[in-house]
Amino acid sequence: MNKKIQKALAVAATATLALGVVSISQAQAAAKVTTVSIAYQGPLSGGEAQTGIDEQNAVKFALKQYNDTNPAVKVTLVSVDDQGDPSVAGTVAPGTAANKNIIAVVGPAYSGATIASLPYYKAGNLPMISPSATRVSLTNPKDKASYGGPVFHRIPSTDAKQGPALAKYAVQGVTSPKVYVIDDQSSYSTGLRDYVLKQVAKSTLVGKDSIPNDATDFSATLSKIKSTDANVVIYTGYFSQASKLIKQLRGAGYKGVFAGGDGVLNQEFADLAGKDAEGARLTGGTIPLADADPALEVKFKAAMGVASGVYAVESYDATNIILAGIKAGKLTRLAMLNWINAYSGTGVAGNTISFDRFGDTAGAGFINGFVITNGKVVSKGQIK
Amino acid sequence: MFSVLIDQFWSLTISGIALGFIYVLISLGYTMVYGVLRMINFANSEIFMFGTFATVVITRDVFHYTSLTTHSTGFRLVLILLLSLIASMLTSAVVAVFVEFVAYRRLRARGTNKLATLISAIGISIVLSETMRLLTHSRPTGSGRVLEKISLGTLWGANIRIDNVLTIVAASIIFILLDRFVKLSRMGKAIRAVSMNEDASKLMGVNLNRVISTTFLIGGLMTGAASFFFVTVYENTKFNIGFSMGLAAFTAAVLGGIGNIRGAFAGGIALGLLETYASAVLGTQWKAVTVFITLVLVLLFRPNGLFGEAIQQTRA
Repeated sequence: MNKKIQKALAVAATATLALGVVSISQAQAAAKVTTVSIAYQGPLSGGEAQTGIDEQNAVKFALKQYNDTNPAVKVTLVSVDDQGDPSVAGTVAPGTAANKNIIAVVGPAYSGATIASLPYYKAGNLPMISPSATRVSLTNPKDKASYGGPVFHRIPSTDAKQGPALAKYAVQGVTSPKVYVIDDQSSYSTGLRDYVLKQVAKSTLVGKDSIPNDATDFSATLSKIKSTDANVVIYTGYFSQASKLIKQLRGAGYKGVFAGGDGVLNQEFADLAGKDAEGARLTGGTIPLADADPALEVKFKAAMGVASGVYAVESYDATNIILAGIKAGKLTRLAMLNWINAYSGTGVAGNTISFDRFGDTAGAGFINGFVITNGKVVSKGQIK
Repeated sequence: MFSVLIDQFWSLTISGIALGFIYVLISLGYTMVYGVLRMINFANSEIFMFGTFATVVITRDVFHYTSLTTHSTGFRLVLILLLSLIASMLTSAVVAVFVEFVAYRRLRARGTNKLATLISAIGISIVLSETMRLLTHSRPTGSGRVLEKISLGTLWGANIRIDNVLTIVAASIIFILLDRFVKLSRMGKAIRAVSMNEDASKLMGVNLNRVISTTFLIGGLMTGAASFFFVTVYENTKFNIGFSMGLAAFTAAVLGGIGNIRGAFAGGIALGLLETYASAVLGTQWKAVTVFITLVLVLLFRPNGLFGEAIQQTRA
């Protein structure tokens, strides 16, 4: 036999075998309709990993509680790691969308990653509930490039609320504030920055800068802050850069207020920056689980082996909405989407959760303030 | 726009020079290897990255520094800094020699073309950074503050900080030692001979493999010193830190004239200053744009970089 023909036959035989395996496994899957999957998508590795690990722990906790009740339909978790990075999200989202076992996604955690994932989830009718993506345009139908409807939903309030709250919280108690605003050029950061700038009075704004997310040396920015004599620095990026920035700020002798949004709100910010993080003021449309339901926090610790992190309540609520749908027999993506759109229930914090037609929660509307005290993120309650 | 530059000129200049010295030391890793092999060592960024982790290991694991530990003083401070510097230099040197052995030596012995060596260097670079990524779970690693960043006084209104002074003084000493070594020592002469004419130096009895290994070793030592200063000043590292720092240092080497150690010096300092001034005047978002436009302009008028041809004899 000709060598070429031999090769072609070999390829054909392998392909047939492979297809056979696929069809068998599909048949098996069809036989076992009693198991469905939900995905969690967020940064599980990379600089922002702590955010994703904290959120996913809450998702796992909700799933464990559900599966422990021996339900008719078991639910498994698929972890989707987008590193919080839009370019990575664009490569992992197609696989998530194509996995027909996944009927809903908790996440993505970050706004930029959400925008990059949306085209695939919209095409696959895959419903999403994000516990932490706060960029305003995600629920604005006029913004064609980043509008997430009808599949996107989120629990926390948006940066339209967080921006002004952050600007207010940063200058609280500061006599004659001089505000310097820094962003990291990401979709989340520039969006939040714009809403912060709307609130900061023109007379108090002394400068702004935009530092790429991979910068290591901030000395030029430090010099500008020094030359403008700023006493309030607001950073709208994420915690791993924020920890570098605050270290260099304090190292250069800056004594004023450092404030950040929910991107900075993370225990790892305090861990990485150490003593320099003391007194930093942070905001977020989230409430710590220990404050919302202390008894549940005890159970969480017992089940997961660690304390809950930031956005635990929102991740837990998002997962429970989906689990309630599964209990009600919504086992396809479309049925789940309709379920979520029509959902109305109570969250851990006692708030009513239901979604408007653009995917925002009707009940959410608070932004909490936090201060780093003795190396820990401490909640100071709602920013009025 | 320029008011910041005028107002903060000396403060910007000092931090620009300190950053520049870190670039100088890393770019020596590129320039030394280029000098003898006429090839870019793309793994130099990872040689740098491994060095940064050596300093972290010494401070965090040997001396148990956390981000909450108070800084050290006196003898203990000198001991920790010295041990970290040595550990970083040795780690980077070992990684550099390893890279030469794995990615360069055998390919060279078989007379493969330069493109294959280039790819094998990129390959080993990826292996090194991915290994560290897995070891650190892709997480950033903070380093405790060993050296309190006290101000030594002000000069023309600029705050003179001890970490910047330490970087500038120590890096200058290391640079001068290297310059003298290459100029005066027997091995230095052999390195320069190979750099000028490989075949002729072989005929003169120069052991080529030894010269090349030594060059990688020295390049590694320099890059490792840069790692130490980097962690001391910026107090953090990450598995992919080599990429941005390596790219900047490579740019510095090309700007100064690659293959020329004094060129690396000029290029590094120029780049550090340029980056800092551009960030201050135009905003940090314009830093990279300014740097690369300048690089292209310099290469248009001086294709071999600032010092490329002028001082051939000091080629390393």
